[in-house]
Amino acid sequence: MIGDAPQHTGLADSEAPAPRILLRGVSKTFGNQNNGGGTLALANVDLTVRDGAFVSLLGPSGCGKTTILRMVNGLIAPDAGTITVSGQAPRPGPDMGFVFQSFRLIPWSSVRGNVEFALVETIPGKAERRARADRYIELVGLSRFADAYPSELSGGMKQRVALARALASEPAILLLDEPFASIDAQTRELMQIELMRLWTLRKSVALFVTHSVDEAILLSDQIVLMGPRPGRVLEVIDVGLNRPRWTYDVRAEPRFIELRSYLWDRIRTLVLTDPQSDFYGRDLSANI
Amino acid sequence: MKIAVYRLLFLAALIGLWWLASTQVARNLVPSPLATLQAAQRLIAEGRLGTALFDSLSIYLGGYTVAIFLGVPLGLLMGTIRPLGKTLEIFVYALSATPRVAFIPLIIVFLGLGPQAKILIIFLGAVMPILINTYAGALNSDQDLVEMARSVGAKRQRIFTQIVLPGAVPFIIVGLRVGATIGLINTVVAELYTAVKGLGGLLAIYGNTFRMAEYFVVVLTLALVGVVVTEALRFVEIRLGRWRRSEVIV
Ligand SMILES: Nc1ncnc2c1ncn2[C@@H]1O[C@H](COP(=O)(O)OP(=O)(O)O)[C@@H](O)[C@H]1O
Ligand SMILES: [Mg+2]
Repeated sequence: MIGDAPQHTGLADSEAPAPRILLRGVSKTFGNQNNGGGTLALANVDLTVRDGAFVSLLGPSGCGKTTILRMVNGLIAPDAGTITVSGQAPRPGPDMGFVFQSFRLIPWSSVRGNVEFALVETIPGKAERRARADRYIELVGLSRFADAYPSELSGGMKQRVALARALASEPAILLLDEPFASIDAQTRELMQIELMRLWTLRKSVALFVTHSVDEAILLSDQIVLMGPRPGRVLEVIDVGLNRPRWTYDVRAEPRFIELRSYLWDRIRTLVLTDPQSDFYGRDLSANI
Repeated sequence: MKIAVYRLLFLAALIGLWWLASTQVARNLVPSPLATLQAAQRLIAEGRLGTALFDSLSIYLGGYTVAIFLGVPLGLLMGTIRPLGKTLEIFVYALSATPRVAFIPLIIVFLGLGPQAKILIIFLGAVMPILINTYAGALNSDQDLVEMARSVGAKRQRIFTQIVLPGAVPFIIVGLRVGATIGLINTVVAELYTAVKGLGGLLAIYGNTFRMAEYFVVVLTLALVGVVVTEALRFVEIRLGRWRRSEVIV
C-alpha cells in the first residue's frame, strides 16, 4: 500500500521544482576491479532531489549511502553513469556542506578553528569569520567550548562541531551523513528541530543519511530506501506529513505509524535475508 | 615533580656505583667522582673545556642546521609529490643503510681536514633520520581530513599548510631528535678522524695518555650536550602538541 504512494520518478511533472541533484545509472566499485576483487558499492542508481527537498537515504550499513554523498560532493567520481548538481558536474566547495559520519575534526585546531576552517574561502575578514563561526557554535550549543580542542569533547559534542562547520558556510546543499548518530536522545531532538528550521529558513536542499527509521520519517519529504550488496535504490517513498513538524506530535500521526511499521518490516527483511549480515537467517518469531 | 625526585635518586645511585667502581678497579682506570670533579674545575679554569665545547658545538650546530633545512623540505616534497618520493626513496634508504663513516676518507680527499669536512660528516649523519621521518609524516597525512578540506573547497596550498604539515610535525620531531643524537656522535667521529679538535680531540688526547679523570669530564660533557639538545626538542614538541590531551610521546 505504501509502495503505491506517489513517487518521484524523475519524469518531471511541470508543477514540480527543478531537480537540484540528479543521479542517472550511477555505479561505483571500490578496490581492484581487474582481478574481480573489488566491492560493487553501488549498482545503477537513479536518484532525483528536487529544489528545496529534504531527502533521506535509509538502509542498513554497507548499502552505499556514504558513497552517494561523497560522489554528490564531487570528492570521488562514479565509474559509470552521470551526476549533476544544479545542472553541472559536482564540485566541492562552500555551496555544499558535508557532515561526515566520522566527524573529521582537525585535532590541533580549537572548536572555533575547526568551524572557521570551512569559512576561509567565503569570508575573507577575520573578525567576520569569527563572528559567523561563533554564531553556529552557539546554534549547536557549544559556546562554552569554543576554545576547547576536539580531544576534550565527547563524541556527541564532536558531532555537533562537525554540524556547525557544515552549516556555517550557509550552503545551498546540505549533505549529512548520520549527523545525529552519536548525539544523546534529548540533544538529538533539539538538533533535529534546529536543522529543520534552518532548512526551512534557507530553502536549502538536504540529502540526509540515516539508519533510523523514525528520524527519516520525522525529517524527510522523501525517503529513499536502499539495499545492500550491491548498493541500490529499492523504493522512493513520499512522507507527506505537514510542515512545520516541530509544532505538533508527528509520531502520533497515523501516517507516521503506518510508514514506520512498513519501513521497519522492509529493513528487517533486508537484514535477515542478506547473507553478509550478522543476523542472516535468524528466525525472530521462534520462542526463546 | 615526583619524577624529578626519582631521577635525582637514580643519579645518586649511579654516582654511588661509579664511586664503588673507582675503588675496586685496579690501576686507576676509573677515576673517582671527586677526582673527576677536580679535573673538571681544572679544565674549566684553564679554558680548555670551554674552547673545545665551542669548537664542537659550532660544527655540530652547523651540520645539524644544514641537515634540518635540507631534510625537512625534501621529506615534505617527497611525501606530497608521490612520483618524486617513489623515485628517490630507494636511494635514500640505500644511503641511510650505508655506514657514513665509509665516506670519511673520500670527504677528506675532497674537503681536507678542516671544518667543512667535519660539518659534512655531521650533516650526513643527521640528515637521514630527519629526511626519512619527515617523509613518513607527510605520507601518513590523515586522508579523511584531507578529503574534509577538499570538501570545504580548500586549495592545495592550504591543505598542505593546515592539514598535511601539522599532521607531520610529530614525525618530524622524532626525526630531529634522532638526527640530533646521530649528529652528536658524528661530531666526535669527525673530530677523531679529521683535524683533532674540540671535545673529540680532547677525548683522543686524554684517552691516549690515560688521563682518565679528564677523559671522564669530556664524556660527561658530551652526555650533557645530548641531554640539553633532546630536552630542548621535547620542549618544542610539547608546545606544538598542546592540543593533545595527554603527552603520549616520551
Ligand atoms: N574507500 C573505500 N574502499 C573500499 N571499499 C569501500 C570504500 N568506501 C566504501 N566501501 C565499500 O562500499 C560499500 C558501501 O559503503 P558505504 O557507502 O560506506 O555504505 P554505507 O554508508 O551505506 O554504510 C561497503 O561495502 C564498503 O565496504
Ligand atoms: Mg556510511
